[in-house]
Amino acid sequence: VTPVFARRLHFVVGKGGVGKTTVTAALARMLARAGRRTLAIEMETGGRLPAMLGTSASIGTPRQVTPELAVVSIDGRAALEEYLGLVIPVKRLLSTVFASRIYQYFVAAAPGLKELMTVGKVWYETTRQEGSRPLWDAVVVDSPATGHGLQYLRMPQAARETFGAGIVQREAARVVELLQDARTTAVHLVTLAEDMPVTEALEAHAQLTGPLALPGGAMIVNRVHRRRFAADVLTTLERATAAAAGAEQALLHAVADRAVEETSWAVINAQQIERLRAGIPTTPLVELPYLFAEEFGAEEIDVIAHALEEAAALPAARRA
Amino acid sequence: MTGGTLRDLVARHRVVISAGSGGVGKTTVAASIGLWGALEGRRTAVLTIDPARRLASSLGLETLGHEPREVAGEIFAAQGLTPKAPLWAMMLDQKGAWDALVDRYAPPDARARILANPFYQHLSQTFAGSQEYMAIEQLCLLVDGGAYDLVVVDTPPTRHALDFLEAPKRIDDFLDRSVVKWFVRPYFSAGWSALRAVNRTASFLLHRLEQATGVSALAEISDFFASMSGLFENFHERIERAYEVLRGPETAFVVVSSPEEQVLDDAEYLAGKMAELRMPLKGVVMNRVHAELRRQKRGGFDPDDEVAVAEVVTRAVGPAAAPPLVENFADYQALARGEQLRMEQFRAGLPKKTPLAVVPNFTRDVHDLASLAAMHTYLFG
Repeated sequence: VTPVFARRLHFVVGKGGVGKTTVTAALARMLARAGRRTLAIEMETGGRLPAMLGTSASIGTPRQVTPELAVVSIDGRAALEEYLGLVIPVKRLLSTVFASRIYQYFVAAAPGLKELMTVGKVWYETTRQEGSRPLWDAVVVDSPATGHGLQYLRMPQAARETFGAGIVQREAARVVELLQDARTTAVHLVTLAEDMPVTEALEAHAQLTGPLALPGGAMIVNRVHRRRFAADVLTTLERATAAAAGAEQALLHAVADRAVEETSWAVINAQQIERLRAGIPTTPLVELPYLFAEEFGAEEIDVIAHALEEAAALPAARRA
Repeated sequence: MTGGTLRDLVARHRVVISAGSGGVGKTTVAASIGLWGALEGRRTAVLTIDPARRLASSLGLETLGHEPREVAGEIFAAQGLTPKAPLWAMMLDQKGAWDALVDRYAPPDARARILANPFYQHLSQTFAGSQEYMAIEQLCLLVDGGAYDLVVVDTPPTRHALDFLEAPKRIDDFLDRSVVKWFVRPYFSAGWSALRAVNRTASFLLHRLEQATGVSALAEISDFFASMSGLFENFHERIERAYEVLRGPETAFVVVSSPEEQVLDDAEYLAGKMAELRMPLKGVVMNRVHAELRRQKRGGFDPDDEVAVAEVVTRAVGPAAAPPLVENFADYQALARGEQLRMEQFRAGLPKKTPLAVVPNFTRDVHDLASLAAMHTYLFG
């Protein structure tokens, strides 16, 4: 079995607010730094991935950020039109169709077509060849926040099963084949080590590996607090606080509060990580540290990329 | 807090809509406001769309139904709370809500056909904004029913939370009567040969579209609109009513945010868009805020002077235990400083007297009535 981070196609999924885009950016940076030609993709336009990688959005066409790293945003509707343009080569008339209300209804009536085209575009980039080898050594995909971003990954299968025989159905089958291939693809889940997020992450994991039959990647636990302060230290601190006065007392009080807060989080996080380990014992689990930053920038993404690097222990990049 | 407080705001309005991006504690804030209403003696309903059942668990209900369900008195008693009026909660299931709409408004003989129509099934599950629209439809029913003094709505966790506000318009556009009429014209349901006679080129291309995708959409759409034509007659009026409620003087939008950079960006964008849509935000809840120790007076002790802090802490606990405590404190201070700065910037962009309540970052999940009530100190002072 190919280790999860050594595969070529990485989907990063998870609920909104868990730091999915940050993890995607860090994973892309990490892979690029390991010498892999990497493409970072956002499956919906208007996200923060391009900015996190230090560039602006480029829709449809990958934009090189460094020699090893490129980024692209996919617009499902544009991808659908691009695709239909290939299937129905009557360009001038097509633009009339796209502008018409009937077409709007058509897209609404064939829901998932847009999502399918988006994943189709991911498939296209992943299978693109340059000479006799793939153009990208690694493709990292940030998923939309709603419903864990699973609806995109579900779509090719749904299309294969529900769409009538046609070109789309055949292509959907090819996409499904790639997505389900554990040698190429890994679906990483990002979560926080708190009660509700862990419950939801375990549900999403069951969905992924069960009905969707997708190759699970790592469970990436973001924002983990680690410091713990011993009870005797806290007691000593409390006594000193009681004995102090004025500004000094206020300071010691605050120092104690933050120590208790950090310890509580560390305990909660550890408990929830145990729950994850028990729930999905064979899934690689990666812990990323909570970053105390005034502002979140490139430096913070690099810290996370390093943490991922250690966890991944990538083999040396295969270069031509 | 300049101007009114969040307490005044909630007291003065009959509908409170909690909006914001996902993962900021919107559901918890909505539940807490609802609980406050009941404790204050207002008959209160809380409406949620959260699929995570978080609200159900916070209200001590195993599950939530599509009909308002009253929170049992024993549950309040067990948590030491005595509400002066009942509290109801309900969850909106989008598929169920569309079916309910069909049940309510469709002609009896058309019901089964609509429910079995593939286009209807797609539409009710995936049409962008349909979930949001159903929430508004439900809200109008609760408001117009007159059984509640306060209705609190927890909006769906959309990325920009904007879909919620635009949903009625989008549905209205979608069901544009002139287009719908066109669809129910006989030649459409008669199939391609008939359409071809009307417009050769369009017919050819649409036929190719269907071939390529394998979706026989047009026949389904036509059948759908034909079956539903009765249902759409007063749809436009209902949408007008929805906007009347959303823009009405009895309604207050409260934006829930956390002080994280990305979340605040979303909140700012949302606030701007809301003003454009004439649904101005009337209050802000800043959730999960870290406390900052400030310098107490000019020339006083500076809590961000790490050397001075280290000295004090070392004196208190000794040189071995001090360094990690000092480092931890400095980390939390940096975090809090960033948050304060961003919150001030955010606030500067709001209308002057907008109430803003700050809720600290609790180190435990808020999921029972007692902890929802504990939040009141911060929300309502």
